[in-house]
Amino acid sequence: MLGSFSVGKTSLVRRFVESIFDEKYQTTIGVKVDKKITRAGGEPVTLVLWDIYGEDVFQKMRMTYLRGMSGYLLVVDPTRNQTLDDALALQARVQEAMGPIPWILILNKCDLMTEWEIDAARIGALERNGQSVIRTSAKTGEGVEQAFSGLARAVLNSPA
Amino acid sequence: MPEQAQRRAGSPAPEEKRGSNDNALEELRHIIISPEQEQIVEIRSRIENPERRVEDVSSVVAEAIQMRREQGDAAALSAALAPTVQEALHESVRKDPHVLADALFPVMGPAIRKSITETLRSMIESFNEALEHSMSVRGIQWRIEALRTGRPFAEIVLIHSLLFRVEQVFLIHRETGLALNHVTGESVATQDPSIVAGMLSAIQQFVRDSFASPQQESLNSLTVGGLEIWVEEGPHAVIAAVIRGHAPADYQVALKEAVEDIEGRFGAALARFQGDTGPFRAADARLQALLITQRRERSSSARKPWRAIAAGALVLGLAVGWISHEGYQSYRWSRFVSFLTRRPGIVVTSYGKSGGRWHVRGFRDPSATDPTADLARYSLNPDKADLQFAPFYSLDDAIVASRATNLLTPPSGVKLTDHAGTLAATGTAPSDWIAKLNERGPLIPGVVSLDTTQLRDIEVVSVEAAVITFPLGQVRLEPGEERVIARTAADLNAIRRYAERTNQTAIVSIIGHTDSSGIEGANQVLSNQRAAAVAAMLAANGISKEAIMARGVGTAQPLRTEDGEEARRLNRSVTFRVTLAPVATVP
Repeated sequence: MLGSFSVGKTSLVRRFVESIFDEKYQTTIGVKVDKKITRAGGEPVTLVLWDIYGEDVFQKMRMTYLRGMSGYLLVVDPTRNQTLDDALALQARVQEAMGPIPWILILNKCDLMTEWEIDAARIGALERNGQSVIRTSAKTGEGVEQAFSGLARAVLNSPA
Repeated sequence: MPEQAQRRAGSPAPEEKRGSNDNALEELRHIIISPEQEQIVEIRSRIENPERRVEDVSSVVAEAIQMRREQGDAAALSAALAPTVQEALHESVRKDPHVLADALFPVMGPAIRKSITETLRSMIESFNEALEHSMSVRGIQWRIEALRTGRPFAEIVLIHSLLFRVEQVFLIHRETGLALNHVTGESVATQDPSIVAGMLSAIQQFVRDSFASPQQESLNSLTVGGLEIWVEEGPHAVIAAVIRGHAPADYQVALKEAVEDIEGRFGAALARFQGDTGPFRAADARLQALLITQRRERSSSARKPWRAIAAGALVLGLAVGWISHEGYQSYRWSRFVSFLTRRPGIVVTSYGKSGGRWHVRGFRDPSATDPTADLARYSLNPDKADLQFAPFYSLDDAIVASRATNLLTPPSGVKLTDHAGTLAATGTAPSDWIAKLNERGPLIPGVVSLDTTQLRDIEVVSVEAAVITFPLGQVRLEPGEERVIARTAADLNAIRRYAERTNQTAIVSIIGHTDSSGIEGANQVLSNQRAAAVAAMLAANGISKEAIMARGVGTAQPLRTEDGEEARRLNRSVTFRVTLAPVATVP
């Protein structure tokens, strides 16, 4: 789980693993590892989820946490335009360090669609380039399952 | 390309003027081709001559390898070179080990130093631990234990310090932080190994980033309360052991060996690990081996329960022994008391135990046996017995008889028995004693009446047994029979005295007999005469005539059946019967 602080990475993991949503914001310090068995292409897949603390101006993400990573969800909070810029910049750094590995752009907080300030055209351009984009809400659960199982599928289909 | 152009332009000429111009052509040809031919020869010699070929390759081999690596195909290159390099190393060592030893020296030095440092560090740790223990309450307990058991303090510390248990072992893929395998000890609560492995890897990376040292050293252990997590890293695999208590330093060596072993066996699988943990199930046994607690610890833990069991068994044995001893004592006491209650002349009113002594309370007839003497029969210690019996008169038949016997001292031929207050005397006794019985018997406690029907007066018996014989047809005594008369007279006097004392009269019947010879009428007369003669003799011996009744019975009551002369002799006789009757009281 990659992305800026407070975009909802931990909430997505909790929704996915425990089917729980809590309005209270808890910042992640370091890494929280979780596990969930999902299905992709008809077979069970164990996802070991590293929920890494969100980047902010004080803390850059350590690339060492990404070692051995098979794929990632790049989470964006569309109510804050800055998070998309940061996410794409982060993605570039990750790609540089890890090479091309599967990733999915997650537009979280789709329950707050009215407050979105993100430019729909930029998303459209990314999608036209073949980038998977999934709209989710950790609060309502919308799209969460698809996001994780989609990543699992992408990882399984990607060349090792 | 000028040469080629020339060749193309002049090509038809040699065919048309072959015959005449052969030499010229040859010359021309030589001129034209000679430089190329020389080149061909030169190239050929370079190809065919191995020395030249080696020379050529040698000039580019380093660049070629460099280029191949840059093409990103280093794996194939390594694969191709590896066997040769290995063989070369073997060969080098075989030929001269010093060459490689010298080359490796700079590497081995630090490796050995690191190993020694590690060993020293763990030594210092245990030394610190020992020091710490020697200052603590536990340390004092251990000192006491050392004093008590006579073993050196260090040994005690060692035994206690080595109590540890490896609860879980994780095999983790270093690159991805995924759990490859996970084994646990019995009854250990575990978390999801994937999550734990992931967190451990994250922590490892965090530590490495935060406290990065140039040698890329890593976190070796974590301590959480009573748990320690020891981590040992290989190039591809990481083993993490969750330990409760303090493991000895050589356990780190065991972890190292396990990592090396697993790297060796699963090296290929580790390198191309894509998420399938299946192949690593084969490492189960190797990881299980790490769960085993250390032998010293095991032996001490094995010894400990035995000691506890032995102590428990001793305590239990003593308890059972005490309980059964107490139970047996109590059983014997109850047997003794029940025996006492069956004894005539003894009444038990209460018994019980207090202050370690058994108390029995009740009544005892003086004639009853002493219960203290019976303690031995029940193997009871008289010192622990407190027997208190108040005296009383028992009406028990046996006791009444015993009491009467004590008071009356009957002669040897007499037995006294009691039945519900009736004291019966059987046997023969002198009339004096019979008189005493009649006087005192009814006064004895418990005696209501006397039964003397089976008691015979010894004088009466003597009188009635006496036979005074006569010669055939005569009234005169046979010689010597006067002595019988005198004795009978003495007996009769005793009987008379007894009768007087007991307010009776004694009537003596003197009975004359004859044998069956002679005629019946004469015999009757003869028997009368014989009885009268004896009566006269007794009167002469002082027996009152009023007490004497003489009569003859002829042959009617023979003493014996006449089957010979001895029987006839006894039948020619006088015998006696004594009858005692109460004196008729005068109104």
